[in-house]
Amino acid sequence: MTVSAKVFLVGFIVAGVSLANPSAVLAQAAAPPAQPGALTPANLAKARQKAPFELTGTWLHDNKSSPNSWRFVPPTFKLTPEAQAHYDAGQKATKEGKVYRDDIGQCWPAGMPLIMTRVWPIAMIQLPTAIYMTSAFMNSLRIIYLDGRSHSHPDIVVPSFNGESIGRWEGNTLVVDTKYFPGHHHWMDQGGASIPASDQLRIIERIRMINENVLEIEYTMTDPKSWEGEWKTTKRWNRVNEDITEAECWPDLNDHIRSTSSSSQIR
Amino acid sequence: MLKKINALVLLSVALVSTAISLAHHSPVVFDRTKEVKLSGVVKEFRWSNPHCFIELDVKSEKGEVEGWAVEMNPPTYLVKAGWTSKTVKPGDTVTVMVNPLRTNEKAGKFVSITLASGQVLTENDPIPAK
Repeated sequence: MTVSAKVFLVGFIVAGVSLANPSAVLAQAAAPPAQPGALTPANLAKARQKAPFELTGTWLHDNKSSPNSWRFVPPTFKLTPEAQAHYDAGQKATKEGKVYRDDIGQCWPAGMPLIMTRVWPIAMIQLPTAIYMTSAFMNSLRIIYLDGRSHSHPDIVVPSFNGESIGRWEGNTLVVDTKYFPGHHHWMDQGGASIPASDQLRIIERIRMINENVLEIEYTMTDPKSWEGEWKTTKRWNRVNEDITEAECWPDLNDHIRSTSSSSQIR
Repeated sequence: MLKKINALVLLSVALVSTAISLAHHSPVVFDRTKEVKLSGVVKEFRWSNPHCFIELDVKSEKGEVEGWAVEMNPPTYLVKAGWTSKTVKPGDTVTVMVNPLRTNEKAGKFVSITLASGQVLTENDPIPAK
């Protein structure tokens, strides 16, 4: 085959592919520039200002101040009609000694913000480009990006129960903006205030180190599908001298944890 | 003095009975004001996250064997209360106190155990009572 014949043949094949699948060409043209990964050596090596604090370590939510401090229950609130219906059903179940839609007990992820206040510690590793948080509970991974990137485009992001977190330093405070949640089987509280977390949930965290062993996070949360206005709460964590261990939700274990399948569960 | 001791015991009972333990599922389904005594033979003991459990064969007053599921805290909290994975094994005769489900189903939240040796063990609660 001559060179010109080969060029013609290649051109014919490419044109054929393009005609058969025009969206492939369009998608290629519209693809955003690749964001270097937070663990990419060049990204890690980039010159940045020194982080005001270092939270690498193992942290456990402080339950000593109140047995209910792990909960996310707004002091006052005005819910949307849909959220109010869930809340009322939760209150009715509680009065009857039952629990309404305890999806975590059914092995759904806790998600933000409840994943932060489980009774299992969270291992946090801080790098210049990101903070990796692994909760021992269900090995739940949360990443806070610190490398200057923006949130993903809503048309390509994959919603997740811990959401997409982007952080920036404001003086000695790390301000983290988290959004992009799935909007189903996701609740603000467990077995108490049954307020659903919708796909419009947005969480701003202001993270401070009170001292080297105490971490404080001030939450400001909005979710126009579930409640009106801003919901604010502040919680603390203590550094613990232990390692995390895997605490997965096993369906076969739930067969023996009979309360998860009892008639006290309102689904 | 005796009065003081009684008061202390009562206070301890109150603290224990109001303690909230929480792991992967909501604990509100258990009746914390009630304790049921279960004497029986261990069928299975699982040392596992997020919960340990004991499956216990208990003889009812009518002489029938009833299977009870006893839900426990994670191993890290049991270790702090003196447990290991070998503390109980199938075939052991034990007495277990539980907070029962409010629905009368045969399951409960672990409170304490008396082993065949007479040793009594509780479990540390992840969230202490206040």
